[in-house]
Amino acid sequence: MKRMGKVFLLMFMLAGLVLPAAAQGGGELKLPPYKKVKLQNGMTLLLMEQHEVPLVSFSAAIRAGAVSDPAGKEGIASMTSGLLRKGTKSRTADQLSAELDFIGGQLGAGAGTDSSNVSAEFVKKDLAKGLDLFADVMLSPIFPQDEVTKLLKQRLDGIKSAKDQAQGVIGQYYNSYLFGKHPYARPAGGDEGSLAAISRDDIVKFYESNYVPGNTILAVVGDFQTADMEKILTDKFSAWPAKAVTPLRVGDAPAAQGKRLLLVDKPDATQTFFRIGNVGIARTSPDRVGIEVVNTLFGGRFTSWLSTELRIKNGLTYGASSFFDERVGRGPFAISSFTPNATTERCIDLALEVLKRLHEQGISEAELKSAKAYIKGQFPPTIETSDQLAREIAELEFYGLDEREVNTFSAKIEAMTLADTKRIIQQYFPLDNLVFVLIGKASEIEPVAKKYAPKMDAKSISQPGF
Amino acid sequence: MKHVRKIVSFAVVALLCLGAAGSASAQNVEVKTHTLKNGMKILVQEDHSIPNVAFYVFYRIGSRNERPGTTGLSHFFEHMMFNGAKKFGFGEFDRVMEANGGSNNAYTSQNLTVYQDWFPRSALDLIFQLEADRIRDLSFDPKVIESERGVVRNERKVSVENNNFGILNEQLWATAYIAHPYQWPVVGWDVDIVNWKMEDLQNHFRMGYSPSNATMVVSGDVKLEEIVALAEKYIEPIPSHDPPPQVTTQEPEQQGERRVVVRKFAQLPILMVGYHVPQTNSPEFYPLQVLETILFTGQSSRLYQRLVDKDQLALFVAGGWDWSFDPTLFDFSVRPRAGIDPAKVEQVLYDELDRLQKGGITDQELEKAKNIRLAEFYRQMKTISGKSNIIGTYDVFFGDYHKLLNAAADYAKVSKEEVQRVAQKYFTEKNRTVATLIPEAPSPKAQDKK
Repeated sequence: MKRMGKVFLLMFMLAGLVLPAAAQGGGELKLPPYKKVKLQNGMTLLLMEQHEVPLVSFSAAIRAGAVSDPAGKEGIASMTSGLLRKGTKSRTADQLSAELDFIGGQLGAGAGTDSSNVSAEFVKKDLAKGLDLFADVMLSPIFPQDEVTKLLKQRLDGIKSAKDQAQGVIGQYYNSYLFGKHPYARPAGGDEGSLAAISRDDIVKFYESNYVPGNTILAVVGDFQTADMEKILTDKFSAWPAKAVTPLRVGDAPAAQGKRLLLVDKPDATQTFFRIGNVGIARTSPDRVGIEVVNTLFGGRFTSWLSTELRIKNGLTYGASSFFDERVGRGPFAISSFTPNATTERCIDLALEVLKRLHEQGISEAELKSAKAYIKGQFPPTIETSDQLAREIAELEFYGLDEREVNTFSAKIEAMTLADTKRIIQQYFPLDNLVFVLIGKASEIEPVAKKYAPKMDAKSISQPGF
Repeated sequence: MKHVRKIVSFAVVALLCLGAAGSASAQNVEVKTHTLKNGMKILVQEDHSIPNVAFYVFYRIGSRNERPGTTGLSHFFEHMMFNGAKKFGFGEFDRVMEANGGSNNAYTSQNLTVYQDWFPRSALDLIFQLEADRIRDLSFDPKVIESERGVVRNERKVSVENNNFGILNEQLWATAYIAHPYQWPVVGWDVDIVNWKMEDLQNHFRMGYSPSNATMVVSGDVKLEEIVALAEKYIEPIPSHDPPPQVTTQEPEQQGERRVVVRKFAQLPILMVGYHVPQTNSPEFYPLQVLETILFTGQSSRLYQRLVDKDQLALFVAGGWDWSFDPTLFDFSVRPRAGIDPAKVEQVLYDELDRLQKGGITDQELEKAKNIRLAEFYRQMKTISGKSNIIGTYDVFFGDYHKLLNAAADYAKVSKEEVQRVAQKYFTEKNRTVATLIPEAPSPKAQDKK
């Protein structure tokens, strides 16, 4: 491979790690029209017809994610979503899987920091069956005790399994260390300690208080007639009893001050994986578009400054990038790369140099033009399919945004000036206040790690937690 | 010169074979074809749903065309294809493409090297210039080669050394194959990455990159006529030459189980089992596809049900077979749960295969597999990228993309008995290779240092 696939969180997170962006060059690319329906019980439906392929995609967002987990019991939101298809009032887990697979359907659920999400996709000819299964898992899960126990044990081993590969867990170590006591530090999937503390009652309680119509947005996109779909969904979901809810409001995490570093020892590592950054932006930040332009040039594409220096010119790594993970509150910003143990120092030094150069040199007119063209050219394939569109409109609704977000994007991109980029670099690309997380072979890289911050914390990958 | 053009409708074929598979508006996919004078085949799928294009070029060269000492060369070469040619120098391919709204990637397998460009249609002419430049006049700068060597060694480290599944998978293939080139990893052995020379790269270019050795697939907001016109202008003047020498080595029949063990620091063990099976264009293609679906796809699949759900011996199980030109492996990859002996998992896996061989599959399972395959087909057709990929893949592995159009009819012909017979034929003790990763504590020496 020339490079690895982007880190798509897909159905498991609403927070946009991969920033959707603009409209096409000449003509405006508009979001296709869709209908919004509010049911009497408070549930929001979004319906969009797409007739190119005989598929229908569902994307539901529930306004409760890992931040709603009680401290010490991290993983409840995630367990709840994982158990939806493990038994309902009328079907066992095996029956659900058998009926779903028989029609070649897909149905998955997961929890991110701010939301829980249920996604499904069915071939048009099996829509009635598919809808029945989808509504069943949303409305009537019973969380059988044996399935709860089974999934908890699987999740515990899943953490062990994940820790065998630094790449798969560095994001969680970074978030935990960066956010500290703020709820965004919590591992959405839980950890070795918190999972052991979760009972079936916790899960039932989480479901009953959060999976309620007023908390739920359901986007359906695909090969159907809107009027028919509206009627079917109204019939299916109107009986869901309304319930008062107070969605949790999480304040923004303060940015980290000064420098600190966490070294996670993985004794078999021949490469050091690292993240460097600070608290970034919320999904609704007014500077989101400008940040995307700057970040595209800094670390958001193959010819970005980071990739050019660390990979293309110096061969120190297979990949170097930077990203803003946008959430309801301010999510993480990070520079991310990996390099052999022996070149750890050179690689991190170079990444920091590139960051410094971004401040000192700024970006050129030609680069700004290039970034605008790139973002606009790469945008249409991100809203090409029914599942992408379902996710997109559910996400807009979730954040209180609407189709203007997409339809005016091109104009916003075009309006960006060099002066805007200077301000954005100053404001959002921290230079002196940085948090470092390294996973690697401590016996070889500890002396190097120490030089980046006055305070170094240390952990072993075998230790519980992140 | 006379051009060959064909127009075929997917929709009609698929609907005839699958009855109520979709509505009249469901699927109206046409593939148009053209062959250049230099032998490059072009397949075009016009889809105007978004103003973008997915441009794929499939070269029939991969690690199977390599030799000991220069393993991994096809993959390294794939990287060099982005490092400058005559008109567009070092770094320009990516810089110019991104500045015009495009992005790209590429991959190498045992069989193929595939280049992928995704861009707004306004960049179409430019993409042809970029692609033509690099297959006509690729440059070989020693300094660039050294830097890229570092990138590729890093890629090997991240995908093999620092990935226990990568380590074990490499051992599985190296053990299952003793003669055929599938025995070495696509990324190459590290020592070979360090040692290959400029002339190895130049020879590789001469061997694999004749236009006649490639299929170009373009899906998206284009018309066949404009693609042909651009290809005639930029690609057709590039002369053709001999294709890579035929890979004559055949893997001798395995005559007894082979086992390999990797011991290293890890949280959990891994078990992999591989059975030799035929290549993609074999008559057993469809029964093998059905077997793969029944064993692995979905939570109702046999192995998920038994290993993950009922006996709770494994965290996950995955597997199947890669599409290939030569006989390949049908493999099983299992992550045992903490505290579970991999030998126990292995035994239960064999119990399941035994049950399959003795009892066969049910009507329900066969129909399920066919439904899943149809849904997968639609999912691949959702994007211009998916279309380019599937059309090109069928074309190179079957020699003709029409096989894709007939897939529904071919699946309809698969019988339970055939699936059972194929399971009996290949899932035998003599034909299998077993690889196990056993966790080990870090060496005391390493701990002392700390």
